[in-house]
Amino acid sequence: MTDSTQGADRAPRWRALCSTCRQVFGMPDYDAYLAHAAARHPQGPVLTREAFCAQYFERKYVGRGPRCC
Amino acid sequence: MKQVASVAIWIAVAILGAVSFAALALNQGESVSAVWLVTAGLCVYLIAYRFYSRYIAERALRLDDSRPTPAMRHNDGMDYVPTNKWVLYGHHFAAIAGAGPLVGPVLAAQMGFLPGTLWILAGVVAAGAVQDFVVLFVSVRRDGKSLGEMIKMELGPVPGSLALVGVLAIMIIILAVLALVVVKALTGSPWGLFTIAATIPIALLMGLYMRVIRPGRVGEASAFGVVLLLLSIVFGRFVAESAVLAPAFTLSGTQLAWALIIYGAVAASLPVWLMLAPRDYLSTFLKIGTIIALAVGIYFVAPRLAMPGVTRFIDGTGPVFSGKLFPFLFITIACGAVSGFHSLISSGTTPKMIEKESHMRLIGFGGMLAESFVALMALTAACVLQPGIYFAMNAPTAIIGANVAQAAQTISSWGFTITPELIAQTARDIGENSILARAGGAPTLAVGMAQILGQALGGKSMEAFWYHFAILFEALFILTAVDAGTRVGRFMIQDMLGHVYKPLGNTEYLPANVLATVLCVGLWGYFLYQGVVDPLGGINTLWQLFGVGNQMLAGIALLLCTSVLVKMKRERYVWITLVPTAWLLVTTLTAGVQKVFDPNPAIGFLALANKFSDAAASGKVLAPAKTIAEMQRVAFNNYLDAVVCGLFVLLVIAMCVFALKVCLQALRQAKPTACEIPPLAAQGASA
Repeated sequence: MTDSTQGADRAPRWRALCSTCRQVFGMPDYDAYLAHAAARHPQGPVLTREAFCAQYFERKYVGRGPRCC
Repeated sequence: MKQVASVAIWIAVAILGAVSFAALALNQGESVSAVWLVTAGLCVYLIAYRFYSRYIAERALRLDDSRPTPAMRHNDGMDYVPTNKWVLYGHHFAAIAGAGPLVGPVLAAQMGFLPGTLWILAGVVAAGAVQDFVVLFVSVRRDGKSLGEMIKMELGPVPGSLALVGVLAIMIIILAVLALVVVKALTGSPWGLFTIAATIPIALLMGLYMRVIRPGRVGEASAFGVVLLLLSIVFGRFVAESAVLAPAFTLSGTQLAWALIIYGAVAASLPVWLMLAPRDYLSTFLKIGTIIALAVGIYFVAPRLAMPGVTRFIDGTGPVFSGKLFPFLFITIACGAVSGFHSLISSGTTPKMIEKESHMRLIGFGGMLAESFVALMALTAACVLQPGIYFAMNAPTAIIGANVAQAAQTISSWGFTITPELIAQTARDIGENSILARAGGAPTLAVGMAQILGQALGGKSMEAFWYHFAILFEALFILTAVDAGTRVGRFMIQDMLGHVYKPLGNTEYLPANVLATVLCVGLWGYFLYQGVVDPLGGINTLWQLFGVGNQMLAGIALLLCTSVLVKMKRERYVWITLVPTAWLLVTTLTAGVQKVFDPNPAIGFLALANKFSDAAASGKVLAPAKTIAEMQRVAFNNYLDAVVCGLFVLLVIAMCVFALKVCLQALRQAKPTACEIPPLAAQGASA
């Protein structure tokens, strides 16, 4: 395997790792949302990154059930 | 071949576990390595997960991957997201692990390491993990509904409303007791207070970064947040040593209490992205990082347990909390063995992210095992300390005296020899002025962790850094909990007020928001302030009140699970939830009734209140109170605690009656009557 193909391999893996971390720590995952929107609602409007994150935080913290001791 | 290997592995795990327990049990005369304790725990977890959780999953619950989960039915890319099971395991663990498993085991260490260890292990397998797993299952089969809604569905509207009132009351108590832990840790500690205060501007900076500078880049913001956080610990030493800055960051208990009350009200009113979200990320990183570091540290350093297996304080005369092993051990260690709060998480975000039903076994049962492991490590860290140091930190000054000489003398008279020099030296090692009367778990754990991590990395010179790192780690997620908890409390109060006067329930209406925030902060702030000025300590009262409440909530959640199993016509397996329910009800009702009515003023709220109010009426001042007004305050607060505790007891008895009625009705039916989403919904339901 040459260096360039290794590099190409690494990029998606790195992205997958970032995505995993985002999900574990409960961070907004805009790329995953885009993929979801493209797959499920190809015609529908897509939120911008800013709007998606704002909405994500609102939903995560406002009026949610209690967190743990 | 594969089967033979599997049998061999499980026999090896069982033997390793048995050897570890033998090492703990037989080595009573001399100190035992902490590695045995942690290994014994890990073997129990592995075996329980492999066999018991599988039995529950396959036989009792009959998890069915062909049924669509809420995440599959409502996949919206936001709340309902089918998530990889290991990722969700991490997410669920980060949501359930809080300060609870760190505080309770440390307090319970006064009875020695064995009672706490045995209860943590037996409790988690028989009760805690079962509760988390079954509640998660019940919620997933009901479209991710919350505990309150499910109680309403399965037991009726009255028990549903009662449960909500109970949840709110427990939340108020937990917020107060957590805030009290922070106050106890930071009183007169400029280094600690500076680092905690520094988290506020750091979080604001992160919030602005991910909102304005690089929108949505949470990872980048978190990375520099963590670096700034570590710098603030380093810089804290200069603050503590500076003649100018140190006094500014040296606050008394009451000043800190007011600071926290004001902080709670302001923080809960800010937009979530500005402070709560960034802080939450910081605390999650520190939490997971520290837990892993502690586990590695224990194996790497292999410290010896200095605390005896069982101390004489199982007779109920302990200085950290009063009351005999039964029932008080079982309410002191709540999270880590079984925690009612988890039923709220297991019916909150997690059920909306489950991809397949079979994943629930790992996430529900396995997640709780991981939390239990944290509790076990907290117990280990407390028991690694010299018992004399442990008691100096956790006993109230009313018992051991306010200076090191008196404290050393009192503690040595209990049979735990300690010199005043060693107490003073320990304080110097961690960069503090005093370690006396720092009850509440966090500081004790921090000293234990500092000694373990110090031996692993950096030696004695790094102990002060690790101590303040540990304090920061706990205080950070307690403050996040105070912020988030106040928001949830406000929401619940508005919901209730809305039934009385409609506009008050409108969450968009500012005066109603302000009123509910003030009410919520006022309620927990009152208990916090009372705990801080309580001449008898505060933690020993409030923590037990929380323990009773939390275990009652677990009892209620397990009553729901039991009723659901009966309604599903799975009576054969009802013992799985009925046995832990019965145990929780027996221990918490005994503890609750003793806390209210016991004639010993060290245990009973009413006895203590009467003692102080009678003495005040005849003009006598009882130590440690100094004035008649202080006496009256002690009396009033204990009457109040008695009422709260009594309400918890009545609430759980009422829930028992409702659940029994529902179960009897269901038993008479020939067909299942549980309100599940039918499996047929699989077809055509996607959007």
